[in-house]
Amino acid sequence: MELNSYQQKAFQHQRPFLEKYGKLNWLLTFFFLIWIAGGAYALYLQIAKGHGVTGMRDNVVWGLFIVNFIFFIGLSYAGAIIAGVLHLLKVPWGKPFIRLAQMMTIISVIVGPIFILLCVGRFDRLHHLFIYPRIQSPMTWDVMAVVTFFAGAVLFLYLALIKDLAVYRDAGLKGPKWRQKLYKFFAIGYRGGASQKRHLIISQNLMAIIMIPLSIIVASILSWIFGMTLRPGWHSTIFGPYFVLGALYSGTGVLIVAMWYYRRSHKLDQYLTDQIFRYMGYAMMVLAAAYGYFTFSEYFTGWFGSEKWDNELIHKLFSPQEYGWWTLFANLAGIVFPILVVAIPATRKTNWITAAALIMVLAMWVKRYLIIVPTLESTLLPMQDTRTEYVKYSATWPEWLLTGAGLASFFLFFLLMSKFVTIVPVSGLEETDHTHKHVKAPELTNATKEDIQPA
Amino acid sequence: MRTLFASNNKPARRQERGILVLLLCLLFSPLLLKAQGDTTQPAATDTTAVAATTEEAAAPEMISPSISLTGIQQANNSIIIKAALKAKANGQFYQLYRMKLQAFAVNGEEEIPLGHVITDGMGKAIFTIKNDSLPADAEGKLNFKVVFAGNKMMDPAEEVLSFKKAKLEITPVKEDSLMSVQVKLVDGAGNPVKDATVGIFVKRLIQPQKLGEATTDENGEAVIEFPNGIPGDEKGNLTIIGRVDENETFGNLEASSVQPWGVAVSNKSVEQPRALWSSHPPLWMLITFIVLMAAVWGHYIVIVYEMFRLRKEEPHTEPQKN
Repeated sequence: MELNSYQQKAFQHQRPFLEKYGKLNWLLTFFFLIWIAGGAYALYLQIAKGHGVTGMRDNVVWGLFIVNFIFFIGLSYAGAIIAGVLHLLKVPWGKPFIRLAQMMTIISVIVGPIFILLCVGRFDRLHHLFIYPRIQSPMTWDVMAVVTFFAGAVLFLYLALIKDLAVYRDAGLKGPKWRQKLYKFFAIGYRGGASQKRHLIISQNLMAIIMIPLSIIVASILSWIFGMTLRPGWHSTIFGPYFVLGALYSGTGVLIVAMWYYRRSHKLDQYLTDQIFRYMGYAMMVLAAAYGYFTFSEYFTGWFGSEKWDNELIHKLFSPQEYGWWTLFANLAGIVFPILVVAIPATRKTNWITAAALIMVLAMWVKRYLIIVPTLESTLLPMQDTRTEYVKYSATWPEWLLTGAGLASFFLFFLLMSKFVTIVPVSGLEETDHTHKHVKAPELTNATKEDIQPA
Repeated sequence: MRTLFASNNKPARRQERGILVLLLCLLFSPLLLKAQGDTTQPAATDTTAVAATTEEAAAPEMISPSISLTGIQQANNSIIIKAALKAKANGQFYQLYRMKLQAFAVNGEEEIPLGHVITDGMGKAIFTIKNDSLPADAEGKLNFKVVFAGNKMMDPAEEVLSFKKAKLEITPVKEDSLMSVQVKLVDGAGNPVKDATVGIFVKRLIQPQKLGEATTDENGEAVIEFPNGIPGDEKGNLTIIGRVDENETFGNLEASSVQPWGVAVSNKSVEQPRALWSSHPPLWMLITFIVLMAAVWGHYIVIVYEMFRLRKEEPHTEPQKN
């Protein structure tokens, strides 16, 4: 597999990160594994003692697990849309971080559904979802959608990796033999021949075309789990696009943060340039404005209609005694702050944009909590059992521990993947990728002016 | 982490630190604000939790529960006593569930045990007592006592209830399309009770619905009109309830009768083919689902096939070293 000099340089720059694990990475791995072990203990408690160890009860049947599921699966859909669009439109500045988007897609679609499994009371009946599916049920739609999307995400990432895998195979990287064998197996004999290239391009284009609508459909299906019920705050016609946009928005934020981390840890400044951060900042700003518009529309319609249950929910969301401060945080930090940071030239810098993205991602997590829990606390039928723990949801420490474990697995997957593949895809790079400088046009001499006169 | 923040550029390092401080402030600000705004205590909902909270505040302090009683004399000669056990802790009332309450019939110094009931999730216990053998005092009153014996965390509690024996009877009357309910209220000796307010209700899902009320005459009787068009069960049956509520002398009385006076409302949903619980999905949904899945998985198959072709076309050359 041949590389041009620029690609060679990019590969040689990242080569040590593939060959060496490093003390910091071992430390991080150990730290994440401790969290995962903690999560395993919480899971053991949950299985041994039942779901009573969580804060979920008869009325508020969903809590942190579903919040995390929506959050992670949203990142996955966003990664697929971003990578698909960048690939299809052949955006030159997108090439250095397209792999990060694809990594986010596959890792999130692994971590996200784990939270659904944690939420299910009867693991032993899980296969019933496939044996006895009911096509009318949004739950069935979602199960099918996530499985289909997972398969697509694996293929999508794999196709994008083939060229690089061939590079790693031929580079004779230091390290265990099994890794070399893995590279060889998964490179499926790719040597860069014209016919092989054609097969790969056809497949990649086909996959990118299918992944964009697929992501939009599956994100909408996810929203319909809520939207198809008659509950206040959920039964909304805009819930599909609202979820798609929310996923894309938070995914952009996570991507910016991931780019910032790898730019520093892998010293990728010349590939993940300030310009890329600025462009992603613009994308974040536009998405923030759109998400703000949807949020306002959602709250305003609910408030203006003054329907009894909608009113109760709006009161819950905006009352300082209930969720008021969280709503304020979600909207200020999740919508206003990123817009301001990108709009003001003084803060339109890499670090500021990353900080805004990080805060926005946290705010978007809170937003998912605000979509799920307050609605479940607003019951339509009179409650027969009004014990406080039934009326109000409060997450317990096993739920937080499992949330931490999920987050730790997300980071650990990133860490491990970055040791198998380069963060910046080397075979797709072109020398012009990072040189989008505004060069002043040379002044025309009299001779050249004459040359361009019409005959 | 050193590598992340180790920059040789001093202004850049300062900027990074500034952003880090801002990040932390923004992160924790809602928590601080919430802590300030949140004045409510975490709710303890079972008795042990209540006890634990109280013990933390002042170890030896016991919880003092209270009992409230309501008695209903039924037309079938039985008496229902509803007891509710609750306690105040941390400025809030808690319903005490899974507690044993004992009921006694009291006649002077004599206490006849009637049985015990464990309180439910709402802290309530219901005693159903046969009226026939209950002793009345000199004034003709029935006296009851409900006792909570207490435990190591809670003081004992008791409450008494007294009312005179009486009986409420209802007779549904239908003449042509006009329906009415005749009520008759007599005391324990069979004498009519006048000037008592009697209400007529129909049984509904959550609470009885009131349809009208009247005051008894010197014969202890009253007639209340019954409206048409009340939804009943699938046969049109309605449970009509006559009720005297909180009478000073006789307490609460109740009588009921089932009549086919309602409009038949079927609870079956055979006429709703698109309902979620129907066994067959709509055809369009099935077709959409199959088409979408086939389209996506079809693409996957094509791509996997392309990969096989790619593998087949591997040129037989030595790998080039980079």
